Amino acid sequence: MNLRFPLQNLAMPLALLGIGAFFALQEAAFLGPRNLTQLLVEFSITGTLALGMFMILLTGQIDLSVGSGVGLIGGIAAVLVFHHGWPAPLALAIALAAALVLWTAMGTLIVRQRIPSFIITLGGLLIFKGLFWLVIANATVPVSRGDEDNLYALLTTYYLPARAGLALAALVAAAMAWLGWRARRARTAAGLPVRSAAREALIRVATAAGIVGLALLCNASRGVPLSLLLLAGTGGAVYFLSQHTPFGRYLYAIGGNEEAAVLSGIPVARVLVGAYMLMGVTVALTGFLTTAYSGASTTTVGDLMELDAIAACVIGGTALRGGRGTVAGVVFGALIMATLLNGMTLLAVSPEIKFVARGVVLTLAVWVDVKLGRK
Amino acid sequence: MNPILQARHLTKRFPGVTALRDVAFDLQPGEVHAVCGENGAGKSTLIKLLAGIHPHGSYEGELRVGGRVAAFRSVREAEAAGIAVITQEFALVEELSVAENLFLGRPPRRGLRVDWPELHRRAASLLKGFGLDLPPQTPVHALGIGQKQLVEIARAVDKQSRVLVLDEPTAALPASEVGVLLDHLRRLRAGGTSCIYISHKLDEVMAIADRITVLRDGATVATRDRAATTIPEIIRHMVGREISDLYPRRRDAAPAGSDLPPHPRPEHPPARLETGGREPLLEVRGLAVARTRGGPAFLQDLSFAVHPGEVLGFGGLMGAGRTELLLHLFGAWGHRLRGEVVLRGAPYPAPTPRRSIERGLVLASEDRRRHGLVLGQSVGFNLSLSSLGQFTRAPGRLDRPAEHRRNQALFDSLRIKAPGQQTPVGGLSGGNQQKVVLGKALMTEPAVVLLDEPTRGIDVGAKLEVYALVNRLTAEGRAVILVSSELPELMGMSDRIIMIAAGRIGGEFERGDFSQEALLAAAMGRTAA
Ligand SMILES: Nc1ncnc2c1ncn2[C@@H]1O[C@H](COP(=O)(O)OP(=O)(O)OP(=O)(O)O)[C@@H](O)[C@H]1O
Ligand SMILES: [Mg+2]
Repeated sequence: MNLRFPLQNLAMPLALLGIGAFFALQEAAFLGPRNLTQLLVEFSITGTLALGMFMILLTGQIDLSVGSGVGLIGGIAAVLVFHHGWPAPLALAIALAAALVLWTAMGTLIVRQRIPSFIITLGGLLIFKGLFWLVIANATVPVSRGDEDNLYALLTTYYLPARAGLALAALVAAAMAWLGWRARRARTAAGLPVRSAAREALIRVATAAGIVGLALLCNASRGVPLSLLLLAGTGGAVYFLSQHTPFGRYLYAIGGNEEAAVLSGIPVARVLVGAYMLMGVTVALTGFLTTAYSGASTTTVGDLMELDAIAACVIGGTALRGGRGTVAGVVFGALIMATLLNGMTLLAVSPEIKFVARGVVLTLAVWVDVKLGRK
Repeated sequence: MNPILQARHLTKRFPGVTALRDVAFDLQPGEVHAVCGENGAGKSTLIKLLAGIHPHGSYEGELRVGGRVAAFRSVREAEAAGIAVITQEFALVEELSVAENLFLGRPPRRGLRVDWPELHRRAASLLKGFGLDLPPQTPVHALGIGQKQLVEIARAVDKQSRVLVLDEPTAALPASEVGVLLDHLRRLRAGGTSCIYISHKLDEVMAIADRITVLRDGATVATRDRAATTIPEIIRHMVGREISDLYPRRRDAAPAGSDLPPHPRPEHPPARLETGGREPLLEVRGLAVARTRGGPAFLQDLSFAVHPGEVLGFGGLMGAGRTELLLHLFGAWGHRLRGEVVLRGAPYPAPTPRRSIERGLVLASEDRRRHGLVLGQSVGFNLSLSSLGQFTRAPGRLDRPAEHRRNQALFDSLRIKAPGQQTPVGGLSGGNQQKVVLGKALMTEPAVVLLDEPTRGIDVGAKLEVYALVNRLTAEGRAVILVSSELPELMGMSDRIIMIAAGRIGGEFERGDFSQEALLAAAMGRTAA
């Protein structure tokens, strides 16, 4: 364990560095601020969906329907805006409500009828895909009318002004340092183990520097993308839920031993349905982001995104059989996936090869997961 | 004679724990060698080295089998050398039938195909030999824990190994089946098989062992011939002190002589217990329960009550329905056909585990690995799992420092032997896992505690602590329902005993009328005088 831990912790940054270096060597533009900002938007999209998937996987369940769902929900909002002329905020709210209804229904079916989630969500994959194509009538539906900028389109095209971005970054860095310091004091008071003061300080400084550095990097191009803020918000929320609420504990407990969870008085059914509802929310968010990013809803939006999300979770150390995983790992896994896809697009890798590469990455990640799970 | 198995200078370290230090151990042909020691003394670890579960290279020291140095890298290699092990944790495939499990990996064949009739015939005769009246087609998941244990033993015995290693084989067995098992071992010994036998039940050890080795804190403290030692001497070696009263039930005051720290109070205690009066905390009238909706009654005509400060014992044979009764009261088993349950003065018609815990009824289950613990998580995670409500602050945030303090108080007062509450519970010794299960139940601040075999697999000292805990609970005005297969324990700790026979009450006894004969007769369904 003493040996494995640092190795595991280092494996991901090293992999990311390796992948980045490879693309940078192939194509210098990869490291340009323009591409990096684009990468950040793509990362926000993959990451948001992966965060929802994370909570599902923690319980030992799975959701294969999210890719089609992303297309469908984004499509509903686009149709409402473009064909029916609804104001974007209202259209987004309605589409979000639709996602909540669909995912609550799936969660309830899984829990009440005891049908394996694999089957239900596989059905969902096909049904949502069909509904999606019906909703957009197999056409291309832009997310805004004419050239006007609405909230929908701005989701991936709005960048914070340089100063605002920097100020926000400084604020977030300071808040994180303060919260971290407060948590440390509480832990010390309770006799919980804490990192050594030097280590703690190093980590705080590094985090703050990382956040501010990221803002500076974004400012070198167009500024901090709005979508990145959405990802940060989602990540913060999922982190709080999973680590600081009974709900989060229950996710881990159900994935670890469902029978024991029931006998411990955990409302297993409610927790599972709750996890699917949260998945619905992240599907809607991702649907809006990815549709906005492609500028219009088309039949291929969301294709195979469920696999990217699962891969991101598993690469980040989430166990497919449940009970193990961290938010930080998932976010990192999503960054790796987004970098891979972005790099391949930049190098104009053919779609055929892209499919193969994605498959290889997913298989490798699951293989490692199985290996570790046996330990 | 040359020992068939010899271990020297065995040392095994886990992160934060040295489980074995410089242990020497040998086993003669045709000998039953018992290993005793407290929870966490290293007994299971020792046999895991012998059995290849902890492979060669993960420990220091030398192992010889039949005079030659052995370096097992896997269980299979150990089995090939003739060492068969029954571990504390079951190794049966739940989804397969009993027969398939018995011959897993070595089914009788006809040509290339499995010879099913032959397999079922041999399985049936093997089961009969162990007094198990089961169709061999029964899936293992439908068996009770005691039956699983017997199937596991039957499987190992049938492999005709030179060395049979049994880790607490009788922890889940009632007295009648223990006799069957010991007879089997004697027969095997007469045939030249050697056996390593781990048990916390010292009378059993004295009945079967030729030699006894005692481990304490990972080191060998004594190896004695059975004839030259006594139970008190073994206990003294195990715990390093004398223990006089094995079942210290105290009816009235708080346990005076107990050296336990005071019961930790939660920071936000739930609704106070109603005090005084002889109103029962739990009353059951005319209860009948079926396994499933529409099935025949499995439990019937059950009526009883348990009052504040009382320990109500349930005894009976394996499969009589005691565990099912507790699970049903708690809301985790069966379909209620008739009868009513009154909990703390209010009818309680539709129990679920969650509601039960909210209303102050809690169960510490007998099958800790399946029902009790999330093995991959830490001790602390498991301790507070049923009580997170106590630490939830607006708007739904967990107060983790408060939780940690409460966990630590329980961790200390139960004397859980582990580096800390962050240790994964799966790495704890069997008895310490049991303590975590109890701790989880106690943290909910229950009014009525259902204890199903609470001392299974725990050592003499820890048993005393559990008994002291029971005394403390009743002194605080709570009620305890105790299910136990060990009659001495049941008689020692209960104020009243109800024997269950085939799902019905076979007899009810006040403390003054306890006698082994009368209880056993009632368990068999014969009416006692
Ligand atoms: N896989 C493991 N990882 C970490 N620690 C372990 C592991 N297995 C055992 N230990 C530790 O080694 C020590 C000895 O455990 P062992 O299971 O051998 O005890 P035991 O004598 O069999 O106890 P019991 O009577 O409770 O079964 C304990 O402190 C235990 O926590
Ligand atoms: Mg053990």
